Amino acid sequence: MTSIPGTEAQHGRQREVIVQCRNLWKVFGATKHAFERADGAHLSVEDFTRKGWTAAVRNASFDVHRAEVFVIMGLSGSGKSTIVRCLSRLIEPTTGQVQVEGQDLLAASESELIKTRRSKMGMVFQHFALLPNRDVLGNVAFPLQVQGVDRTTREARAAEMISLVGLEGRENHFPDELSGGQQQRIGIARSLATDPSLWFLDEPFSALDPLIRADLQDELIRLQSQLHKTVVFITHDLDEAIKIADRIAIMDQGQIVQIGSPADLILNPANDYVARFTRNVHRSRVISVDTVLRETTPSDTTAGPAVRPTERIADVASLVVESEHPVAVLHPHADTVAGYIDREKFVRVLAGLDPQ
Amino acid sequence: MHDSVTRAIPASAPTSRKPRLHSAMALAALAVAVFFGPVWLTVIPAWLEFPVATVVGDAINWFAREASIGGLAVKDITRLFAEFIDRPIQGAVVLLADGLFSGRGLDVKQSVPPLSWLAIGGVAVITAWRLGGRSLAFTVTICVGFLVLFGLWQNAMVTLSNVLVSVFIAAALGLALGIWSFRSTQVENITRAIMNVMQTVPIFSYLVPTLLLFGYGPSAALVATVAYALPPMVHNTVLALKSVPAETIECGRMAGCTRRQLLWQVQLPTALSKIAVGLNQTIMMTLNMVIIASMIGAGGLGFDVLKALRKLDIGSGLEAGMGIVALAVVLDRVSQAAAKRAAHGKHLQPGQQPLWRLLAVWIVAATVIAWLLPLAQLWPKAYLISTAAFWNNLVSWINQEWFDVLDAFRTFALLQVMRPIRDFLAAAPWTLVIGALAVAAHWTGGLRLVIYTVSLALFIVLTGYWGPAMNSLYLILIAVTLAVLIGFPIGFWLASRPRLQTAANLVLDTLQTLPTLVYLLPAVMLFRIGDVSAIVAVTLYAVAPAVRYGMVGMSQVPHARLEAAEISGCSRWQTLIWLRLPAAWPTLLIGINQTIMMAFSMLIIAALVGTKDLGQEVLIALNRSQVGEGIIAGLCVACLALIADGLLKAAAANTAIQRHRKNSL
Amino acid sequence: MLFKKVSGIASMLLALTLGAPTNASAAVPESDKPIKIMIADWTSIGLQGEMMSLILQTYGYTTELVVADDSGRYPGFENGDLHLAMETWQTTQQNNLAKSVATGNVVDLGETGLAGVEDWWYPLYMKEKCPGLPAWEALRDCAEEFATADTAPKGRYVGGPVSWGDHDENLIAALDLPFEVIHPGTDAAMFAELKAAYERQAPIVLWVWKPHWVPSLYDGEYVQFPKYEDGCFDDPAWGPNKTATGDCGKPYGWIKKMGWAGGEDVWPCAYQMVRNYNMDNDTISALLVEVDLNGRSNTEVATEWLKANEDIWRPWAACAG
Repeated sequence: MTSIPGTEAQHGRQREVIVQCRNLWKVFGATKHAFERADGAHLSVEDFTRKGWTAAVRNASFDVHRAEVFVIMGLSGSGKSTIVRCLSRLIEPTTGQVQVEGQDLLAASESELIKTRRSKMGMVFQHFALLPNRDVLGNVAFPLQVQGVDRTTREARAAEMISLVGLEGRENHFPDELSGGQQQRIGIARSLATDPSLWFLDEPFSALDPLIRADLQDELIRLQSQLHKTVVFITHDLDEAIKIADRIAIMDQGQIVQIGSPADLILNPANDYVARFTRNVHRSRVISVDTVLRETTPSDTTAGPAVRPTERIADVASLVVESEHPVAVLHPHADTVAGYIDREKFVRVLAGLDPQ
Repeated sequence: MHDSVTRAIPASAPTSRKPRLHSAMALAALAVAVFFGPVWLTVIPAWLEFPVATVVGDAINWFAREASIGGLAVKDITRLFAEFIDRPIQGAVVLLADGLFSGRGLDVKQSVPPLSWLAIGGVAVITAWRLGGRSLAFTVTICVGFLVLFGLWQNAMVTLSNVLVSVFIAAALGLALGIWSFRSTQVENITRAIMNVMQTVPIFSYLVPTLLLFGYGPSAALVATVAYALPPMVHNTVLALKSVPAETIECGRMAGCTRRQLLWQVQLPTALSKIAVGLNQTIMMTLNMVIIASMIGAGGLGFDVLKALRKLDIGSGLEAGMGIVALAVVLDRVSQAAAKRAAHGKHLQPGQQPLWRLLAVWIVAATVIAWLLPLAQLWPKAYLISTAAFWNNLVSWINQEWFDVLDAFRTFALLQVMRPIRDFLAAAPWTLVIGALAVAAHWTGGLRLVIYTVSLALFIVLTGYWGPAMNSLYLILIAVTLAVLIGFPIGFWLASRPRLQTAANLVLDTLQTLPTLVYLLPAVMLFRIGDVSAIVAVTLYAVAPAVRYGMVGMSQVPHARLEAAEISGCSRWQTLIWLRLPAAWPTLLIGINQTIMMAFSMLIIAALVGTKDLGQEVLIALNRSQVGEGIIAGLCVACLALIADGLLKAAAANTAIQRHRKNSL
Repeated sequence: MLFKKVSGIASMLLALTLGAPTNASAAVPESDKPIKIMIADWTSIGLQGEMMSLILQTYGYTTELVVADDSGRYPGFENGDLHLAMETWQTTQQNNLAKSVATGNVVDLGETGLAGVEDWWYPLYMKEKCPGLPAWEALRDCAEEFATADTAPKGRYVGGPVSWGDHDENLIAALDLPFEVIHPGTDAAMFAELKAAYERQAPIVLWVWKPHWVPSLYDGEYVQFPKYEDGCFDDPAWGPNKTATGDCGKPYGWIKKMGWAGGEDVWPCAYQMVRNYNMDNDTISALLVEVDLNGRSNTEVATEWLKANEDIWRPWAACAG
């Protein structure tokens, strides 16, 4: 397999780190002191049970890069919601480090924390968490009101956010007059009102019907292409994760078992758990064109169509199948040819097999 | 009115079969010991009774008369406080009922009239229309019309002034205590314990200390009313704040709320509709207190009732009592509608005026009309309606035509049913009664409940009120049995007839807010002074929660299960016995619990027709200004109520747990 | 509050009908502090309280009518929460008043001129069933006429609330009457029973006092017990039963005015007016019928009487000039 310079960067490995999380533990029932004294990091599951402790997050370490969509995925009870709350200290981690844009979050005082949340963070909740006594405008303007922004300014900003999520004209409706999808659009607008750099979404679409869920996923992708936020997205739905993620962290029983691009997870699952999870995902929807790249041979001509290396196989399938000429793959940021699509590998992937 | 109030029930697992057998055997052993053992196991010996009442009385008298804090006498501080809360009441009375006077004695002239009935009644109707639509406006119009046409308006406004100020203070204080309890578990435990006792101690028992501290008059009545009406507000505030979804709070915190912003902008608004439930109960309980408050100087409709009944003008008493009901209905329905609106939010329709502007315009207009047309200020006596004669004649007619039947019934009930139960309880060895309670506690709740129950019972023994307490127990037992036997079937029947439920609720509200004295006196006329009248009155009052819970319990059965029964060909009775009753059982147990609490709260009123129970002890202490005896006897009532409450709550939880286990197997 | 209001309106009416406002002397009132006049749950104390209140108001005093309990009033007076009471009955309050005066905080303001009677009372039709009445000995023979199923064979006597004392129990024991005392919790219940029995012409004997509207409305009379004399309550040798005390009817006697001692310094002239206040049974009984049976308010009735009898009450206020 050949790698193309620049695709790595696309996955963000060299970008600025916005959230840095190291050796994070959240043990319910244990104080930091008790945990450290008992050397909790090295205790067995039985020891935890005996002490009446429940480890929701075990030794989690990861980075989230600027403008990246970082999805944390796991089944219910895997600790994914706890992790995202530790990143904003909605839940106090037992031990570990969390840095947000270089600020040591766990050392922050209450007022520093409030300041950070006001200026840098926005969050969308599973059950929308709208305030029933405020109308749409009031809900979206709420984070600004909390900061003491004057009425005219905050309502103007809120109106802007409302039209961003396509709800203009509903400013004066109350939450219980709107559908679930509309309510979550308000939730999204609210979380963006303060223009945060870090955007947390905690299973934002789980409570919605499948069709509306798909709409909102597209909406999110559209917004992200405009706004380039640093996103931490929690979900239990692998399809959703694959659809929107740059990178996915898979959690099982409080531990992060693998972090990687969707294709990484599917092609190189770290263990059986991940493999079982990803077994049913159609390869072509995950694997990008650069995976089935072959070197240029003299017989290649540029007569055929060209695609970008990051495009998914499923998306270019009809193009490749219908083309009479080999399909060229360009460099990520230039219009020069990096190589050509290997038809055999391509068909394997389309057939739902791994490229090799 | 005590609905949804959880009391201190020690949570512990119910006992399984084998230890149950052990405790039953222990009771049997105790019975043998009582039978063959020393007399003091049967009759409480003098050395077990302590003169607690005297000590408490002396302490309170000292506190109220001589104690001082930092050179300031407690008495002066409390009097200053009384003065302070008297102001808003007086203000409200001037505005709503009296107006202003100039001059004095024989020279008095009214310089400014109060707001006219047209103005105030219109405000109520317009508000009702805006908040609850046409049907609510209609109800309010009927109530206002009733008060005006029956000549109750002015006193109703005096009562309203007191009620508004009491409710405002109780709500503010309850909210504050509720928030504090919500934030600190320790505070919550302490307030819950105090509130539990406060709700069950009859108000008469702390009336004398209140009078000592706050002087005679409306402010003492207000303090007593607030003390009585506070618990549901505190309790519901805590519940409401706890029920705010965790995500909503997280949303506030993520928005960078400070603690205060979180409370006022997120938690309280979200909890509002549930807090309103508490406010509602507070309003109803305040209105329950109108009679007692008028006994110590609050005046108003309560005093009308007392005055009419003193003349044995039962009809006028009933009318004044219905005036209290009308006030209750207006305040209850309008506040509910307001809370519903506030919780969900509503914008004005285009072209709609804001409510306050509408009301202001109305008040000005009505005042001008009242100035031009005296009839709109004070409804002329000549046009008043009264149905009093009808009711008086009705009671007389029943008395003359049906007394023999009723008296035969009374004699039978008294001699064949009530006396035997009373004598049995009076003669039962105290150790065995406590033993039986302990076994019941052991079976339903476990060891902690046993300790709780036994210590409450021992309090009654040690303070020397065992005899009267057994008498109270006998009254409660009979009244509650009757209330349940009457109330549950009615509730079951109503459950399947949703159309009747609105009317039924109105009747139940009436039963709970109509001053009991109104039906106590006819009861005396027909059943003579004594326990039968007392039981009739208590039963009438306590039947309301039985009907309500019967209704709720029956409608709780999952629909799918009923369909399954129908498919299996169950008859209506089979469905009732095999499906509905078992499904409703935990709710019904809570209903029985509420019925018992209601019955306990009526003991003191029942004492007015001459019982020999704890209520009577409290009443005597009140009349003789015996502070200590009043409080201790009141606490004994609370002990009995808390024992019953603990046992029934545990039993209800027990059933629920067992069912849960069965289902999960 | 209620009372302030009612009295306000009524005195307004009075002022209008009298035509000319009365000019009070410059010396009174000595203080603007409200004089708190106790009223309670029987009518006459309310009526007389209202009268006194109107008189005092006419001379510029501020008054307030405050509801208190008959026996429960003493702490209030000793504390200065209550200032004046127009009725304290010898029949039930003799000892309480003496005790309270002994504290030095309460003053006895003299008799009202009314004589209180409280004793066993029966409707006249009972004389047919028990011809020996009103002599008390007759009760021995026809106790069963007064019995109900639950008291039989003893007669049923409806006494006062327990807190009014156990005089009747002592009386029954001392005179060996085959009767059982039934205590209601409130006097309203007693009269409810009377009303019910009277409507059916059914047997009843109960505690009735006067001045009260009951003897005016219902025909009946008092049982004649051995008349109270000093010694009856503490000397066993006194009376028909030589070995027991209490073998006599209740003491018939004075109804006194009382007051908070401290008030004497605050409103000396007002206290003087209260001392001078004097009435008689017939006048008050007639007024009670107006209030209790004709349904008129205390204030209305009091105002009417004051208007018609200025020559009687104006002299009481001599100190006000």
